[in-house]
Amino acid sequence: MRDRLTTSMRASHVLALIFVVAALCLAAFGAATGDTFYLRLGTEALIFAGLALSVDLLLGYSGALSLGQALYFGIGAYVSALTLMKVPSFWLAMGAAFLVTLAAAIIGGLIANRVRGVYFALITFGLAQVFAKVVYNTRELGASDGMIGVPVIQIGLGPFSVSAASPAGFFLVVLGIIMGLYALTAYLLDTPFGRVLTALKANEKRVPFLGYSVWRARMAAYVFAGLVAGLSGALYPMLRGFVSPELMFFATSGNAVISVILGGVGTLIGAIYGSVLLVILKSIIGSWTEHHLIVIGLLFMACVMFLPKGMVGFVRPRIERLLGREPAAPEPAPPSSATIKSGSAA
Amino acid sequence: MTPPVLDIRDLGISFGGLKAVDQVSFSAERHRITTVIGPNGAGKSTLFNLISGAIKPQRGQVLIDGVDMTGAAPNRTKAAGLSRSFQITNLFFELTVAENLRLAAQVLEPAGRAFLPVRRSERAMAKTAQMLERFGLTHRRDEIAGNLSHGDQRRLEIAVCLASEPKILLLDEPTQGMSHGDTEDTAKLVRNLTEDVTVLLIEHDIGLVMDLSDHVVVMHQGRKLAEGPPKVVRADPAVQAAYFGHH
Repeated sequence: MRDRLTTSMRASHVLALIFVVAALCLAAFGAATGDTFYLRLGTEALIFAGLALSVDLLLGYSGALSLGQALYFGIGAYVSALTLMKVPSFWLAMGAAFLVTLAAAIIGGLIANRVRGVYFALITFGLAQVFAKVVYNTRELGASDGMIGVPVIQIGLGPFSVSAASPAGFFLVVLGIIMGLYALTAYLLDTPFGRVLTALKANEKRVPFLGYSVWRARMAAYVFAGLVAGLSGALYPMLRGFVSPELMFFATSGNAVISVILGGVGTLIGAIYGSVLLVILKSIIGSWTEHHLIVIGLLFMACVMFLPKGMVGFVRPRIERLLGREPAAPEPAPPSSATIKSGSAA
Repeated sequence: MTPPVLDIRDLGISFGGLKAVDQVSFSAERHRITTVIGPNGAGKSTLFNLISGAIKPQRGQVLIDGVDMTGAAPNRTKAAGLSRSFQITNLFFELTVAENLRLAAQVLEPAGRAFLPVRRSERAMAKTAQMLERFGLTHRRDEIAGNLSHGDQRRLEIAVCLASEPKILLLDEPTQGMSHGDTEDTAKLVRNLTEDVTVLLIEHDIGLVMDLSDHVVVMHQGRKLAEGPPKVVRADPAVQAAYFGHH
């Protein structure tokens, strides 16, 4: 039985595959030419793509706009940095970031999920700002300077070991983790659990009458999104060797929302494309003019006006049509406008 | 003796000073159609909201299969076997017809399936196909629900309620806004539902009510005015004064 949402997700996977191939080409090219700058930039784009992914999970699927998703990104980054400065272990840092973000997202979720809509957006914004200011004023966490001196680590991957200082090596590790998070999110959204989240966005008021708890579904989405952001953030100090309170500021959350809208809300892979585009644009335009934010702002407005569904939202329906044409299983198709396409191509 | 599948006792709620539903008691017999009638503002839809858990009653009790479900949230009354439709079509308009049904049918699956891909939920898929067939929507299964005609949307609304195999079905004006032909089809459909479920209906079309109902409850200004078999109710002078008198 063909399923429209499954087909959409498969179309996103096609774009994800293209993305991974392009990324691998960059890694190979970068390694061959001894490039550092572009691989480091690409790694940073991927890390922020993880944050954008978590924003799209909430905005594009459960229908909740979070303006403070950087909170969990920042918590992940700080916990990772603190852990690495004590014990330089990749897996320990990721594990610690996971646990602390889990706890933080549950607490944040209990607060933010009391309200919805604009109020939800404002509360998530407020939570992140308050927490960022606390960090900003805490000397033990480096206050406004942040913390420097995160050691360069060796990442043990079974028999192999990759240094976080190796541009191509660490790029590949981050690519693996971010695409892993993408795959996990995409998988969950195509399960009955995930479909309830989609139902929340479509018509939250109807959901309890189907027997599902709206509160539980919203909490699950929020905590899962928090974890995705936190695990992405945990990679940041490994790349840059420092963390700063700016990671939790609104600019970080806002950039993630812009990435999602540029890439396409509710497409998942769009968040990743959008984030890469934004980081590249910032870097390129930033090298021409210090007023790069004006250019990005104009581009964002143009995108909202002319590509309201974002880049992926524009391309994906075409891929869906291609995928839909391949008959997965022979299906008795009664003549109707909805099924003529599959019938004529069979 | 088994308790009635749905038992309403002294149910009441006030909004401000207005007693929207006041001391209403009746029960719905298994595999029968019980219809609630009454002029606009009589409190029929509020009654449905109280029973389904959309609004908590201030007084009285709702028992489903003898279990007290008074004030339980809608997802809990749903789990207890009560499914309801809405007077104003309430679907997942951005999702496909099939997905609307699949979401409702998903509750039939064991909880462990919640984290497997949807195509593994064979029972929910089979139920979806069965509902599409039964409600004549198979050829529209991949259509976005918002694009359906009004009649098809009203049919889908009933199908969604039925897809979860409830014990009790609350239908709030299922034929609202339907053409004459569609209304007759829907009446036939509702009649056939009683093989599987107990139906509680709100309906305005008096002809339809008399044809369809096994039991009629008349409401007026929040209170129960009368109840009984359709013919008895129709002959009741108080009912005629309040309701049929204008015809």
